Amino acid sequence: QQTITINIGSSHPESNIWAYAMKNAFQPTVDRLLEEGGDEYRINWVESYGGTLYRFTETRTAVRDGIVDIGMVGTVWEGSAMPLQNVTYFTPFATGDHEMLIEIFDHLTEELPELRDSWADQNMLHLSSLITDSYDIYSNFPINSLADINNRRINAPGTSANWLQGTGTTPLDGALTTYYTDIQTGVSEGALSFATGIQPTRVYEVAPHLTQVGVGAMYFGGIAANLDSFGSWPEAVQNAVREAGRATSRAHGDYVTERAGVAMSEMEQAGLQVSELPEADKQAWVDGLPNIIEPWLEDGGDAAVTVLKAYFDALRERGVQPLRDWDEGL
Amino acid sequence: MTSLTIGLLLILGLVVVVLLGMHIAVALLATGFVGIWILRDNIDLAFRLLGMASYNGIADYLFATIPLFVLMGILVSISNVGRDTFEVAEALLRKLLGGLGVATVAANAVFAAVTGVSIASAAVFTRVAVPEMGRHGYRLPFAAGIVAGSSVLGMLIPPSLLLIIYGVLAEVSIGAMFLAGIIPGLLLCFGFVALIMLLARFRPSFVYTDVEAARTRQAEAHNDKTLTWGEILRKLVPIVALVTLILGGLYSGFFTPTEAGGVGAFGALLIALMRRQLDRARMWQVLYQTGLVSVAILVLLIAAGYYSRMLSIAGIPNAIAMLVQDSGLGPYGFLLIYVVIVLLMGMILDSTSILLIMVPISAPIAQSLGFDLIHFGIVTVIAVEIGLLTPPFGISVFTVHTALADPQTKVEQIFLGTLPFVLVMALSLLLIAAFPILSTALI
Amino acid sequence: MNATTEQDKHRGTMGKTLHWVAAALSMIGTIWIALLMFVIVADVMGRNFFNSPITGVAEVAARSVVAIAFLQVSAAVLNGRMTRSDMLLRVFSHFSPRVTAFLELLFALVGAVVFLAVAYAVWPDTVRAFNTNEYFGVRGVFTVPTLPFRAIIIVGAVFAALAYLAVAVEHLRQIGRPQS
Ligand code: NA
Ligand code: NA
Repeated sequence: QQTITINIGSSHPESNIWAYAMKNAFQPTVDRLLEEGGDEYRINWVESYGGTLYRFTETRTAVRDGIVDIGMVGTVWEGSAMPLQNVTYFTPFATGDHEMLIEIFDHLTEELPELRDSWADQNMLHLSSLITDSYDIYSNFPINSLADINNRRINAPGTSANWLQGTGTTPLDGALTTYYTDIQTGVSEGALSFATGIQPTRVYEVAPHLTQVGVGAMYFGGIAANLDSFGSWPEAVQNAVREAGRATSRAHGDYVTERAGVAMSEMEQAGLQVSELPEADKQAWVDGLPNIIEPWLEDGGDAAVTVLKAYFDALRERGVQPLRDWDEGL
Repeated sequence: MTSLTIGLLLILGLVVVVLLGMHIAVALLATGFVGIWILRDNIDLAFRLLGMASYNGIADYLFATIPLFVLMGILVSISNVGRDTFEVAEALLRKLLGGLGVATVAANAVFAAVTGVSIASAAVFTRVAVPEMGRHGYRLPFAAGIVAGSSVLGMLIPPSLLLIIYGVLAEVSIGAMFLAGIIPGLLLCFGFVALIMLLARFRPSFVYTDVEAARTRQAEAHNDKTLTWGEILRKLVPIVALVTLILGGLYSGFFTPTEAGGVGAFGALLIALMRRQLDRARMWQVLYQTGLVSVAILVLLIAAGYYSRMLSIAGIPNAIAMLVQDSGLGPYGFLLIYVVIVLLMGMILDSTSILLIMVPISAPIAQSLGFDLIHFGIVTVIAVEIGLLTPPFGISVFTVHTALADPQTKVEQIFLGTLPFVLVMALSLLLIAAFPILSTALI
Repeated sequence: MNATTEQDKHRGTMGKTLHWVAAALSMIGTIWIALLMFVIVADVMGRNFFNSPITGVAEVAARSVVAIAFLQVSAAVLNGRMTRSDMLLRVFSHFSPRVTAFLELLFALVGAVVFLAVAYAVWPDTVRAFNTNEYFGVRGVFTVPTLPFRAIIIVGAVFAALAYLAVAVEHLRQIGRPQS
């Protein structure tokens, strides 16, 4: 029996939705597959979860440079180096089904050379897709119509600032960790975020109105292996790692579903008022957005067009009717 | 040799070269580099992590507050706001035993409400209070110790950079952390006051160079012309304005804790301009000093970040987690081990690195053992702050030493002068750990 | 004798140039701190009074701190402002100033090597940033090229290394000087 050392890690603690499946699904699955496959190899896992080795701004470089052999890569923070993966953030109001998103992106990353190569260009092999549950508005005032968010200040950092264009809402910077204080003191009046992020940070205490607006779930990044490390492993280990990646995708989807469910019921018990924005208002919102995908398409060129079309085809194949055809006329 | 052994040897190596006088940032970077190279048997990796630590290590809006708080401190110092605060405290407290020392603590406590980093307080009051205490017969090392000791109030009384960082790491509300810091901050403040008065009474030789002369001055103070109420009021207006601006702005949602540094520096700039203390040459001097003080801290933070990545590769955080988890001592046994580890780390690492290493590991354990994360955070921050005052790496003491620029007063003498304050902090830490209500009462 | 004087003079100009560059870099960093303050105040005012915050302040401020640090570091080295604990060194200096000077020389050389290593470590990503027009921010919201921020690290680190070398040369002279 041969022991192989694999450095695995993430910028987030293992309790986090994106790191959870690495520790609780990926590692045990690799171990089990190797044991079942003749017990020829054993993995010595060297774990660096929780950001002690690298920060969230470094997830791509950490795996690319082999600081870990396998790690969580948040492509959402890598708009410059890996723009293609951010297609969902530029096409909001598509789907709230995060499990479907995992399935679509596992598939597309395998099938589309554009996506696969963009991982390989970064010296990485994509093993498993990571997502967020659906983005909605948590606010300290009730929202019954689109007009209600006019002239309000909402935390919407990074790409999500785009989604508020044309609504008359001022998007404010921030992060999951600042929303509570920002809303409590009045710096902002709400946040555009997802249940599994809001519940642990208790933002619902100061923003007791959840309005489901239909922005949808987002592809967040992937679990990836450093290509040099991967190439140095025996075939049996390589196969186990790939296979475990697929299992991890499923486990991640299940876990987010479970956590989002628990989060919702806990928040509702604590007094969260849940309502849904009327369909007509959702439609008015998305129709009123400027063509926010344009700068992304310019940046990504033909590859971006291919990825966008493939993504929207995949959605429609699965019976989803996105509120806006962001791929129209391409 | 296991990774853990190598890691421990590298900690020892760091302590040795730092004691021998190598620049601390250089020592952290060098041992970090050698460590990663040996541990992963790959020099390339040492370079790559070095590149990451340099480019990203302090690339955070939170760290942008450091030069701004320093700028505010220096502006407040040259526009004599610090001195005025101190003079008012002195006028009101001079009749007390050890009145000047008590005044320093009081002025520090007020000043803490506008600054978010301890070194800002340390820099300001070294210039303002230490020479004054020296003139009145205080031993300079003890006077410097008072300033270094009470500078920690800056990090406990809101706004506070350390409370912000803890809040971010433990995912608890920063506003709540700020409120939680107030009572412990005041408790420490009164502890320091009691300490100074007791020492002046029972161990005057520790406080004064010439005990008799000091006593005579103390007696004469009664006859001295003191400030009129009008003068006191006039001297207090700027600091009250600054405190109002910052606390008012924070709690009315006008700006965030992170933005407080920028707004505060701007407020201090306005005060300096209004007091006509700022011509072009002095403005340059202020900015130049801001740069030099900030860079020393920022480079240390980059280097400490790199070093802690090496410790992570050596498996030190995991080992600590295991140690803490397997201790099987129940909540307070866990807390004891935890605090001891933080105190030990405080000897060699900077505050931010300790929080980065310890909080993600220990906060979940603490929560599972039934601790309130806000209470746990205050305990953590006080333990971390003790590290600001302990050798060989005690940045508040270094700051006082640098700002004092007196060749007769050595770093180690200031460390000694600070020791009583460390003991008071340890005592307060015990109290706050035992009575969670002290930190949670205001929330 | 003549040759030594020549060398000293030469070193003098080199030293002067180094001091001048370090001061210039530190001045830029210093102005940057002031600008940061004004931008934050403008952002706060814009948000509260005009419902129009300045986009990207947090990200730009984050990158700025790094630039500010590296712009100042060579001046800090030359001015002896890098944090250290020199108590043992002072004890040594009573017994043997030469040993002290030798340790100082050694430490300054380590400083030079370490900062050269930083420059070398940051180099590959800087080249990559140049080749790929790397930016931070979000397409369609705001984007800022990373190249200047990476380049400042290299410039700052190289001058920090030169500053350490200058310090090393000073200590070398002390070792050469006859003990009195
Ligand atoms: Na404070
Ligand atoms: Na210390």
